[in-house]
Amino acid sequence: MSVFDGLRFRKVYSPIHNLDPRIKFVYVISIFVVAILFYQIIPLLFLFFLQIPFVLLARVQRQWLRSLRGASFLAGFIFIVNVATTYFTSGYTLLAPNVENAAAMTLRFVVLVESFSVFFLTTSPDHLGLALEESRVPYEFAFAFTTAVRFVPVLAEEAQTIMDAQKARGLELEKGGLLKRIRNYVPVLIPLIVSAIRRSLELAEAMESRAWGATKKRTNLYLLKLRRGDYALLAITVGILVVAIYVRLFVPIPTITQLL
Amino acid sequence: MSKLSRLRLAGTKNMAIIETKNLTYTYPGATKPSIIDVSIKVEKGEFVLITGPSGCGKTTLCRCFNGLVPHFYQGELKGEISVAGVNTLEHHTYEMAKHVGLVFQNPENQLFALSIEKDVAFGLENVGVSREEMRKKVDWALNLTGIYDLRERSPHEISGGQQQRVAIAAVLAMEPEIIVLDEPTSFLDPLSAEKIFEVIYALNKKQGITVILVEHRLDLTAKYTNHLIVMDEGKVRFEGNPREILSTEETRLIGVGIPKATLLYQMLKKDGLNLNGNIPLSSEELADQLLEALKPK
Ligand SMILES: Nc1ncnc2c1ncn2[C@@H]1O[C@H](COP(=O)(O)OP(=O)(O)OP(=O)(O)O)[C@@H](O)[C@H]1O
Ligand SMILES: [Mg+2]
Repeated sequence: MSVFDGLRFRKVYSPIHNLDPRIKFVYVISIFVVAILFYQIIPLLFLFFLQIPFVLLARVQRQWLRSLRGASFLAGFIFIVNVATTYFTSGYTLLAPNVENAAAMTLRFVVLVESFSVFFLTTSPDHLGLALEESRVPYEFAFAFTTAVRFVPVLAEEAQTIMDAQKARGLELEKGGLLKRIRNYVPVLIPLIVSAIRRSLELAEAMESRAWGATKKRTNLYLLKLRRGDYALLAITVGILVVAIYVRLFVPIPTITQLL
Repeated sequence: MSKLSRLRLAGTKNMAIIETKNLTYTYPGATKPSIIDVSIKVEKGEFVLITGPSGCGKTTLCRCFNGLVPHFYQGELKGEISVAGVNTLEHHTYEMAKHVGLVFQNPENQLFALSIEKDVAFGLENVGVSREEMRKKVDWALNLTGIYDLRERSPHEISGGQQQRVAIAAVLAMEPEIIVLDEPTSFLDPLSAEKIFEVIYALNKKQGITVILVEHRLDLTAKYTNHLIVMDEGKVRFEGNPREILSTEETRLIGVGIPKATLLYQMLKKDGLNLNGNIPLSSEELADQLLEALKPK
C-alpha cells in the first residue's frame, strides 16, 4: 500500500484543522495577493515565516516540509531561468541586485506553494465538501468530490489486489522499455475500469434507494458556523492585508543589496 | 406517518403491506423475463425470508419493492404491485424511500459519505428534514444498530459487518415501514452475519418493521420466520410455513440449503426415531427435542 498511502486522508484535530475552511481559504487567497503585491525579498521572507506558526499549531510540519521539498525542483528552475534571462539581457554580466531579484521571484513561488499546502494539509475532505455544499456550488459537485475522496482508498486497494493477482499469473510489470512498461499495465487497468463501472452502478442504485433527488431544497446534517478562532483568523487576515497595502503604497522597501 | 398511527396500523391484522399479482418483468435487452407471474402477499409486521438458487430473480424482485424496477432499470413490467398502499409503477424510487428501505449485498458500495453519521443522514438530507429532527433520527438509528460510538469514523476504518450495520442504520433513519435486505451478509463471516440477523430480528420484533430478508444461509435465519418464499427460475415455487416447505424433497432438489437440523431430523425420522414437536429449523430446537427424547422415562 506504500504507493497509495499519500492518498489516504486521516482525521487530525488541531486548532487549525477546526477552523472554518472558508475563512482558511480567504486567508490563503490574501497571502497569495500579498505575495503578488511585493517583488522585494524582505516582505516575501516575512510572509514565508508568517506561515510557520500555523504549521506548528496544526502539527503538520513533516508533511509541510515534504511538500516544500517537492516544490524545490520547480523553485530551482524558476531561480535559474530568472538569473539566466537577466544575465543574457543585461549584456552577459551578473549583478547582485539581479540575483536578489531572482531569489525574490523564487521565494514568491515558495510562499504560494506553502500557503496552499497549509490549506490542504489542514482541511479534511469532509470539511472541504461541506464548504462546497454551503457555498453556491451545485450539490452534485460537492457530492462527486466527497465520493471520489471516499473511494480513493477503496480503488487503491483494488488496484493492488489486481496487480498481485496478475503478477501471480506471470505478468511482469517492471520489465522492458518505457512503452512496454506502459503496455504492461493494460491487464491491470481493464479489470480496474470494469469493476469501477460496476461499482458506480451499484452506488447509483443505492443513492436512488435513499431518496436521491427527492427535493431541490436539500438540508445538511452539519452546519458550518463561525467560531472565535475563525473570527480571529479573519481579523489576522484583514490585518495582514491592511498592513501590506499600506507598506506597498507608502513605505519604501530597501533591497538587501542596498542594506549591505 | 407518525409513530402512533403506525403502531395502530400494526395492530390491525391481515393488512397486506406488499401485494403483487402476476408480476412479470424483463430487463431491457433480455430475451426472457427475470421474474415470472410472481403473486405474493406480505402482511404488516411479518418477517419474510426469500431464498432460491443463484439467478432465480430474488434481487430483481427486491428491486420491484421500491420502484428501482422499472424506474431505474427501465424494461418491461407487467402485472400489479402495491407496496405500503402505493403503486410503485406510478411513484418514483425517491418517493418509495420513506416507505421501503433497501439494503444491498456489498456494504462497501452503499456508503458514500466520509463519516458514518453523515452517511446515515444522507436520505434525510435528500428529503429535506430539518437539522434538529435529522440529528434525533440519526442518533436513534445509530443506537438501534449499535454503532453510535463509530459515528465519526470514516467508512473504510470499520469492518464489513459494521459497514453493513451502517447501511441498515441509513435506511432505518428514514423510518420506513418495510426493510428489504438482499443477501446482506454474503460478504461477512458467520459471526458478523449472526449479529446482523439479530439486529434485523430486533427491528422486526421491537419496532414492528416489516422485514424481507433474502438469504442462502437458512441455518442461521430459518428460525426467525414463519413465512418463507422459495423461488426458482423466476417463479415462486413455494410460499408458506418454513417447517413444511423445508422438509419436502422438492425444496432440496431446487438447490435450497436446508438447515442441518431439519435434515438430521428427517434422517432420524426415516430410521424410525420420532421426535416430539415441530420439525426443527435450528440446532437449538433440535437439541431440545433430542434431550427430551433421551431423558430416561
Ligand atoms: N441489470 C440486469 N440486466 C439484465 N439482466 C439482469 C440484470 N440483473 C439481473 N439480470 C438477470 O436476471 C436474472 C435474475 O437475476 P437476479 O440478480 O435477480 O438473481 P438472484 O436470485 O438475485 O441471484 P443471486 O443469488 O446470484 O443474487 C438473471 O438471469 C440475471 O442474469
Ligand atoms: Mg441477488
